[in-house]
Amino acid sequence: MVNGCMATSLKEALEARATKDMIPYGGGTDLMIEGKKDISYLFLNQVPEMTQIVMDDEYVRIGGACTFTQVLESDLVPALMKEAVAMIAAPAIRNTGTMAGNIGNGSAKADSVLIDFVADAQLVLGSTNGNRVVPIADFYKGRKELDLGRDELIVEILLPKTGLDNYYYKKVGARNALAISRISFAGVIKIENDTIKDIAIAFGAVADTVLRFKDLEKMMIGKTLEDAKQERKAFVEAYDKAINPTRGRVSAEYRKTVCLNLLNDFLDAKGI
Amino acid sequence: MSNEIRFNLNGKEVTYEGKATDRLLDALREYYHLTGVKCGCKEGECGACSVLMDGELANSCMVAMGRCEGSSIVTIEGFRETKRFEVIDKAYASVSAVQCGYCIPGMVLATEAILTKTPHPTLEEIRDGISGNLCRCTGYNAIVKAIQTAAKEGNGLW
Repeated sequence: MVNGCMATSLKEALEARATKDMIPYGGGTDLMIEGKKDISYLFLNQVPEMTQIVMDDEYVRIGGACTFTQVLESDLVPALMKEAVAMIAAPAIRNTGTMAGNIGNGSAKADSVLIDFVADAQLVLGSTNGNRVVPIADFYKGRKELDLGRDELIVEILLPKTGLDNYYYKKVGARNALAISRISFAGVIKIENDTIKDIAIAFGAVADTVLRFKDLEKMMIGKTLEDAKQERKAFVEAYDKAINPTRGRVSAEYRKTVCLNLLNDFLDAKGI
Repeated sequence: MSNEIRFNLNGKEVTYEGKATDRLLDALREYYHLTGVKCGCKEGECGACSVLMDGELANSCMVAMGRCEGSSIVTIEGFRETKRFEVIDKAYASVSAVQCGYCIPGMVLATEAILTKTPHPTLEEIRDGISGNLCRCTGYNAIVKAIQTAAKEGNGLW
C-alpha cells in the first residue's frame, strides 16, 4: 500500500520499523486527529503477538495493539485496569484505541498509564536486535520524551498477576463521560494482619509524567494501621511538598488541592 | 506487492487505490459516494461518521485506510438492507426519535452495536452505548426509548 505497511507478524513489523521511516499505528485515535499527509503508518492490528492477552507465571501480558475493548472483555486483566480503561472516551474509541498507543502518545493524562505506574508495569520493547524490558517509570523520561528507539515497538505491557486487588481509583474530569482526565488517582494497598505490607500511589494529569513517589510510600510500609494513622498527617504533608503541578487547562492550585483530597479519601477508604 | 488496499465494503470486496494515510471517512464519502456517513467533528467526539468495522462501532474519521486492509466495513447504506435495520427504523419512527437526522446514521449503527453485544440492554448499557454519538436536537430520551423498543420488537434478531 502507498504510505503504509500492514504487518502480519511481529518479525515483519520489527523489520519494517527498523528499515523504514514509519509511525506505529495502533488505533489511530490520536494520530488521525493530527491527520498528517506526508508520513507512513505501520499498521499493527494483524500482528498476532501484539493483539493477544495471555498469562504466564508472573504477569498478565497485554499485547501492545490490544484495544481497550479487548482489555475490558478479558478475564485475565485486573479489575483496576479495567475500571480505568472503562472511563476512556466512548465505545467507538475503545473499540479502536490501543494500550501501546495510550503509552506511546506520551501523555501524563493517559488513563491506562496511571495504572501501569501504580502497578509497576513493565514494557517489552522489541526490535530486530531483540527485546528489552523496561519499567514504566523509566520509560517516561519527561514530557512526551520516551525511552523508545526509532527501531523499537511497544510489543507487550506486563502487569503483575497479583497484588492489585485492594485499590482505590478516581478520575476527575469536566463531566462524567467522554472526559479527558483533569486529575486521576490510583492507590493500591496490601494489608496483612493490620500491617501495611505494601502501598503504591500515583497521580495522573498533574505534571509532565504520571507522578509516583516511592520514597514517600516507604513512610507507610511496615506500619500497623494504628501507627499509620499517627503518621498520616506527616505523610500527606510530604505529598503536599512533593507534588508540583503544572498549569494546564486547570490551575496548579486546583490540581494540588484535588490531589491531596483524593489522597485523603484513599487513606480514609483504607482505614488509615 | 500490490499497492491497493483490499477490504469488504457493505458485503462487496473492493480495492482502494489511494494512500494508506487517507481517512476512511473521506474515502467513504468522496471515493465510494456513501454520503450517509456524516462528517461532524473529525476528531472522534461526535459519532456522526460511525461505521461498523469488523462488527464493532468505529469513528471513520479516526481510521486510516491502511487499517482497513482485510477488514469488513459496514455503513448505513449497507446496514439498511438488513432485517435488523427495519426493526430499528420502525422503532425510531414510532417514538419520533429523529429530528434533524444528522446524527441518525451513527445512532442507528450504535444501536446495532449495542444490541449485538447485549440483546436486552439496561438503560445504563444503552446510555453508555450511545455515549459517543452526540445529538443536538432530541435530548436523547427519545433515542433511548427507540433502542428499548427495538430490543423488544426485534426479540430474537440479535
